[in-house]
Amino acid sequence: MGSDGKQLSRRHLAELERIVGKKGVRADPTARSAYESDAFMLQRASAEVIVLPRTTAEAAAAIKVLREAGLVVVPRGAGTGLSGGARPVENGAIVGTARMRDVLEVNAEDRYARVQAGVVNVHLTAACADAGLFYGPDPSSQTACTIGGNVGNNSGGPHGFKYGSTNRHVLGLTMVDSSGEVIQLGGPGAAGDGDLDLLGPVVGSEGMLGLVTEVTVQLLPRPEKVETLLCLFESLDACCDAVSEMIARRLEPSAIEILDRLTIEAVEASVLRAGYPDNAEAVMLVEVEGGDEEVDATSADVIEVARAFGAFDTRRTTDPVERKRLWAGRKGAFGAMGRIAPDLYVADVVAPRTRLREIVSAATVACRERNLKLANVFHAGDGNLHPNISYDRRDADEVRRVLEAGRIIMEACVAAGGSLTGEHGIGLEKQDEMCLVFSDDDLEAMDQLRAAFDPDAFWNPGKMLPVRGCREIHTRPLPVHSPAAEGAS
Amino acid sequence: MSRESLVDHARALDCIHCGLCLTTCPTYQLTGSETSSPRGRIHLMRAVAEGRAEPDATFEDEMNFCLVCRHCESVCPAGVEFGAMMEFSRGALLERRPPGPLARLARWVGFRGILVRRAGLRLAAMGLRAVQLLRLDVITSPLLGLRGQIFRNLPRVPSARERRPLPPVTEAEGPARGTVLVLDGCVMPELFGRVNRAMTDVLAATGREVRSVPKHVCCGALHAHNGELNQAEDLARLTIAQFEEVDGSAPVVIDSAGCGAHMKEYGRLLANDPEWRGRASAFAARVVDLTEELASPEATARLQERLGDGHGIEGPVTWDDPCHLCHGQGVREQPRQLLDLVPGLERVEMPGADSCCGSAGIYTVLRPEDSLEVLDPKLESLESTGAKTLVTANPGCHQQWQIGVGKTGKGVEVLHLAEVLERALKPR
Ligand SMILES: Cc1cc2nc3c(=O)[nH]c(=O)nc-3n(C[C@H](O)[C@H](O)[C@H](O)COP(=O)(O)OP(=O)(O)OC[C@H]3O[C@@H](n4cnc5c(N)ncnc54)[C@H](O)[C@@H]3O)c2cc1C
Ligand code: SF4
Ligand code: SF4
Repeated sequence: MGSDGKQLSRRHLAELERIVGKKGVRADPTARSAYESDAFMLQRASAEVIVLPRTTAEAAAAIKVLREAGLVVVPRGAGTGLSGGARPVENGAIVGTARMRDVLEVNAEDRYARVQAGVVNVHLTAACADAGLFYGPDPSSQTACTIGGNVGNNSGGPHGFKYGSTNRHVLGLTMVDSSGEVIQLGGPGAAGDGDLDLLGPVVGSEGMLGLVTEVTVQLLPRPEKVETLLCLFESLDACCDAVSEMIARRLEPSAIEILDRLTIEAVEASVLRAGYPDNAEAVMLVEVEGGDEEVDATSADVIEVARAFGAFDTRRTTDPVERKRLWAGRKGAFGAMGRIAPDLYVADVVAPRTRLREIVSAATVACRERNLKLANVFHAGDGNLHPNISYDRRDADEVRRVLEAGRIIMEACVAAGGSLTGEHGIGLEKQDEMCLVFSDDDLEAMDQLRAAFDPDAFWNPGKMLPVRGCREIHTRPLPVHSPAAEGAS
Repeated sequence: MSRESLVDHARALDCIHCGLCLTTCPTYQLTGSETSSPRGRIHLMRAVAEGRAEPDATFEDEMNFCLVCRHCESVCPAGVEFGAMMEFSRGALLERRPPGPLARLARWVGFRGILVRRAGLRLAAMGLRAVQLLRLDVITSPLLGLRGQIFRNLPRVPSARERRPLPPVTEAEGPARGTVLVLDGCVMPELFGRVNRAMTDVLAATGREVRSVPKHVCCGALHAHNGELNQAEDLARLTIAQFEEVDGSAPVVIDSAGCGAHMKEYGRLLANDPEWRGRASAFAARVVDLTEELASPEATARLQERLGDGHGIEGPVTWDDPCHLCHGQGVREQPRQLLDLVPGLERVEMPGADSCCGSAGIYTVLRPEDSLEVLDPKLESLESTGAKTLVTANPGCHQQWQIGVGKTGKGVEVLHLAEVLERALKPR
């Protein structure tokens, strides 16, 4: 738990209230406690103050006050992150973007949009729907998570298979740096203008380089035709193998998702009932987009492979209502797991797509041996697995076993040439495991990059990069470092 | 009292803190503060129960700030029963920290003196009518600040003729399709008697014999939402007994979404009463919203024969989902289907039709400022549709929209769905 060590002085508090308005500051302990974690529940801490600016200018002014007050800052969007990135740190304030939710510009001609960082992912897509455009990255949390948070975690989604993660869509950023100055990176037409590309390091930096206040993103034209396919399997292994084969054959659907039986049951018992049949051990949800013929051909190929690998039933639909229902079930899958136990540990690892089955069995064994309930749901198309382990955080031993299983799964992925995170970030959860992939030198280089933006560790200190040296953490020799496997897209 | 009993701890554990409910919550929309979000409130309840936070003024304020619109329930994949948890917390707060003497008196008069007695309700309605006839509301409203704005725009209390109760029995028209019971309600007959009559006429036109329950006054929904749980339980038992006396098996048709949502949950409310549990569940299973009843194939077929276009309702119309219909009862399609049956009536969708208008029972009176702030984006949304008529199915929402439309000065008519259908009925 965090400390209430440093009290914000009355003067600083008054100054903050003057800048963002009284409703934009929450300082009493009960109100602040609602921010003690994000969607990663295993670690909690309390923030000294919550500040909710409405504009870049307000944010910049507030940052100056917080800095003068001797606090550090954790940026926060909607707090749907699954690795503790937006959790408060000791002696830290939370600066949230929940009141920065204006879509500032939609340019249909040049296909870009400029939004405040707190705009909710689906609201952006809704805002450009009339222009026949949409925003590519579609995290399952898209009804709640913010564009700023997506930038922080370089988030992807089911359609990341085709469209890639956030980093492929960001054209420009407005940021407040640690001295409270506003800086611009990139812009709608900035691609290839010869400047040093600083967008790269910022997207995915988990709030450690500054507060993003505005984001310019590219928009995509809506595809002519979209078809959703549902393939039912009697075994999860066969379903995984079918995906590996689709990848080997270079089929190009826009999304391939797998849900196992436990997940199907949870979804079907929830408000997001999608009509997934209850007689399947695994469901593969595939989306195919493009021109008429292209869609028909790809769908036929997908079904052929699925059948060859033992799919006992397949369905296809282009009806928007039906498609939405099928996807709502998938997108609510994590939440629906809440019916199984009070807490849920969502692992997020990437495996080479030829070895999906192997990693899934490793996870199954790790959980079985520890008497833990495991459900699998994953972005199979890009090898991004989410083994979900249910637990009750009040049971200390169960928590220990969950973390142990989580670590074993990560190790298995790294050993197979995969990576530690597909899209949820490192945050607090996987700090130590960074050493499984990176050497001390690698981490030192990352720290230098961080320090170039933020010399005094003012932004989200103590996250992502391990606090202890790797030598202390290592209990076994390093596996071979494979940079190619980093990132899911 | 112990901390555990202050919140429904077991229900709080269903929440996995995913945050998917944030965006739907009107109070989070208003403030951007997670403390004022469903997830934040559940966190507070749980933290208090586990001794990690105090049930202090902030806690109480966040509980009361909630509109109990239950929009969060509609999107929660973990199936958190937020409405039930909130009723529980409010009830416990009341017991733990009773309000000051003045507020207590107001609550007593409201919950025990007026709502549950027909004579009390009548007296209140007569008083308000007198005030309105003498234009005292206009004179005094500046003194009352925001509450005055609301006071001034309250619906006109109709004449005594319109406030007469429903007849005990209304005959079916054409081939009979069996009996239904209807709820007169507490506030409905005094302010919206015409809606009750419209419901009865429309039901009769579809071949239903309609019986009212003259003895009955109040279902207890407002009591439950505001934490008066003991009284809510008593009223539930009384309601069940009085309805059973008139008919033990006929469907119970409700034209007020708040009452319907509550009566459908009698089984849960009385779950700890072994004597009543089964009876309450059986009764709850008979309760249907008017739109559910009318959207059945048999009723719809009859309506199609009877609806004509000489109704004089100005289109386009738009449907605003009452929270306790769409989130509380999961009824979304039926009202739209029914409006689409009316010949010559264009219907447009209103963006955010399923978000709260800020009425929320007596919230308008308890927190006028918040209530009107929640309404503001809805008014913008209404304007964006260009609708000339707004249709709803709940007295609280009906009144709130009248206040809102009155405030903007735009001449949009607010009607209950039953009124729309009744106006469109061709004479036989
Ligand atoms: C049910 C569920 C499903 C999910 N599905 C997916 C999925 O399919 N794909 C996926 O990628 N993720 C998924 N996530 C994880 C999470 O939703 C994403 O990481 C999301 O992008 C976080 O957005 P947020 O607004 O909630 O950010 P937060 O959780 O508030 O913050 C995330 C990180 O970004 C930083 N940050 C936030 N805003 C800013 C800013 N303005 N400037 C600088 N840094 C900032 C924070 O400090 C933190 O490190 C899921 C989560 C849940 C609960
Ligand atoms: S959606 Fe449900 S489980 Fe998720 S935070 Fe909200 S109440 Fe909790
Ligand atoms: S009931 Fe309505 S106001 Fe209350 S927390 Fe849920 S969404 Fe928010």
